[in-house]
Amino acid sequence: MKKILAQANKEWMQLRRDKLLLVLGVLMPVVLLFLYGSSPSLQLRNVRLVVYDYDITPLSREYIATYANAITFRLVAHEPDESAEEALARGKAVAALVIPPNFERDVRRGNNPIVQLLIDGTDANAATVLGNMAKSLNSSFQSRTGLVYSGATLVSLQQRLWFNPGLSNPVYFGTGSLGMVLALFPALLGALAIAREYELGNVIQAYASSLTGLEWILGKSLPYIALGFVELLICFGVGMLLFQYRIPTDPTVMLVATFFYLVSGVFFGMLLGNATGTQSAAIQGVQMGAFLLSLLLSGFLVPVRNIPAAIRWIAYILPATHYVNVVRNSLLRDAGWTVVFRPIGALAILAITFFALNWLQVRKMQFKD
Amino acid sequence: MTAFLRRYVALTVKEIQQLRRNRGLLIQLLIPPTVVLVIFGFALNPKVRDLRMGVVDQSLTPQSRAFINSLTENLSFDVTRRFVRTQDAEDALNKMDLDMFIVIPQDFSRNLRRGHPSDVQVVLDAVDANTANIAQGYLKQWLLVALTQYNTWNGLDPTTPTGAVRVRSTVLYNPGLVTPWFYVTGIMSILIFINGSLVASALAVKEKETGTIEQLLMTPAQTVEMLLAKTTPVFILLMIVLMLALGVSMVVFGLPFRGSFWLFIVSGMFASLAGIGIGVTLATVSKSQQQAQLLTFFVNPPLTLISGASSPLENMPQFFQKLSYFDPLRYLVTIIRGVTIKDAPFSALWPNLAALAAFALILFSISAWRFRKQ
Repeated sequence: MKKILAQANKEWMQLRRDKLLLVLGVLMPVVLLFLYGSSPSLQLRNVRLVVYDYDITPLSREYIATYANAITFRLVAHEPDESAEEALARGKAVAALVIPPNFERDVRRGNNPIVQLLIDGTDANAATVLGNMAKSLNSSFQSRTGLVYSGATLVSLQQRLWFNPGLSNPVYFGTGSLGMVLALFPALLGALAIAREYELGNVIQAYASSLTGLEWILGKSLPYIALGFVELLICFGVGMLLFQYRIPTDPTVMLVATFFYLVSGVFFGMLLGNATGTQSAAIQGVQMGAFLLSLLLSGFLVPVRNIPAAIRWIAYILPATHYVNVVRNSLLRDAGWTVVFRPIGALAILAITFFALNWLQVRKMQFKD
Repeated sequence: MTAFLRRYVALTVKEIQQLRRNRGLLIQLLIPPTVVLVIFGFALNPKVRDLRMGVVDQSLTPQSRAFINSLTENLSFDVTRRFVRTQDAEDALNKMDLDMFIVIPQDFSRNLRRGHPSDVQVVLDAVDANTANIAQGYLKQWLLVALTQYNTWNGLDPTTPTGAVRVRSTVLYNPGLVTPWFYVTGIMSILIFINGSLVASALAVKEKETGTIEQLLMTPAQTVEMLLAKTTPVFILLMIVLMLALGVSMVVFGLPFRGSFWLFIVSGMFASLAGIGIGVTLATVSKSQQQAQLLTFFVNPPLTLISGASSPLENMPQFFQKLSYFDPLRYLVTIIRGVTIKDAPFSALWPNLAALAAFALILFSISAWRFRKQ
């Protein structure tokens, strides 16, 4: 135990001397938390729409107003001689609404006029959403103007939005980004700590000392896990200011989950540092393994269920997937142990696995061939 | 001029030889981009489907069953469980076994028969605001369809609406709605830029670390020549990566190429120059390779996030949209999407190209100036 603490102390002294690393360690989580929490949003707003009204009647204007009033669309003007296809190709608008001539007359006579919506399909997902949006705006236009008997009045849906009634994206991404921030730094520091020893050749001294492999990795990991908790505190404070974090009724859930998450992060980084032996390769490895994969596959951006089954297993072996799950549940749903039992169990298994792999790697404490 | 060329070529040969011996770097630069492109192209799909839905049917009449059946036919919903008590459904939602549940009241069919409106309660888990929003849209649409069917079965007015306006959506450029195209083009741009800065910073700082920079500075070579020679191999490698990424996207995801190829190449060149410029500048302010890479680590995520590569720019808060004009990556993304997925006219793309060129020039000059100062 004493040896572990001594090793941890030495590690901490080294960390303290690397000013840049410390500054980044404190500053970067906060900046990243802010960025990841507030910038991504899959909700479509202010989509630029050009309108070609070949009817120019009160009814056609009212039809356009239905779109203009929706928060999804923002009307933009087009040049007099610019066709809809041109406006879309130039990127001036993402969608074009074309109202045919005789629109109002056809409606009054009982013919069914067809309004066209041209959508830029570059972002396929947005295109689908816009198509659906147009359909519901269309039906709301009809029921509002009383043109058609709408069956929808017979059954009305009373909707209740639980846990995030404002449908706020920052709240969703803000809580998830805590997982992203804590995925990055502990792993990075762990990887650097080990790789540095190899680069400087100091690793021989550790080999030659009376330390066992287990003591060595435990001592090395301890300060970084502690630093991870400091980051958690800082980020939690920022989160309370920006993203409506609340202290959950049962804070032990978060604390235990964070502990396992940090352990798996640090040991994953150390694993990389051990395997690569150079700092720059270790940084690259962390960027790919801990950061990019977590960012894109952990359910932070898109739900894990949307990932094709063939590569979904990657998501399940990422600690971030389970941690993001716990954080969201704990902070937004105020979930207790019974709900997050499974993800915390998964985190514990992953933490133990990474630790065991590390141990296997350094057990012999000999030079790699 | 000839002296300049001679020195430049000699230095470039030295750099290429150094790079060739650095297997790790080569592998880092060539393999991950391809893997990343394929994984993320497949994985990123924000389309919502198979929403797990619970049903609490308190009515238990033929009408309510028909109503629920039409719901199960909808592909967006996966009616997984039926509950007797509302409390059970609430618990399931709490435990995340469900995404939503629907409660059909006891007087559902009686109200319908009498022509009174009937309230059906829908409870959604709104933690994921986006998914909840889309689910709401699906529900509304389903209801419209379901009710016309429903009325037909009941012998009610099947509401064949006359004078109804129909809206027909046509999707241009990507009528098959292939989602990966959007992400693949975005990731391609990110790779060029980020790899440029990472590798350049590593290379530029290496001489400082090994102490050979003094020797270099004592040679008759000018700093500009040194910098050019240093970046040339990286630049060539980046262009190879770009071609590789384009090839993989076209083969694996069927990404079309509709615009002009030279525009693609030129914008790629400017972007990698800008990336290299950032990398070298960061390298000059740091003492070791590790510090340089950490700094690029710090600079790159924001540039990536606000570029519109991974989520549409319009969705972002106003502040970030304005900020994105200072992000060279934004222009590259626009151009790459403009020449691949859609055939945007040159008149629409040249401002982007000009901005990219300006960024490349400015960033590269700054890096040259910083490089000289050290």
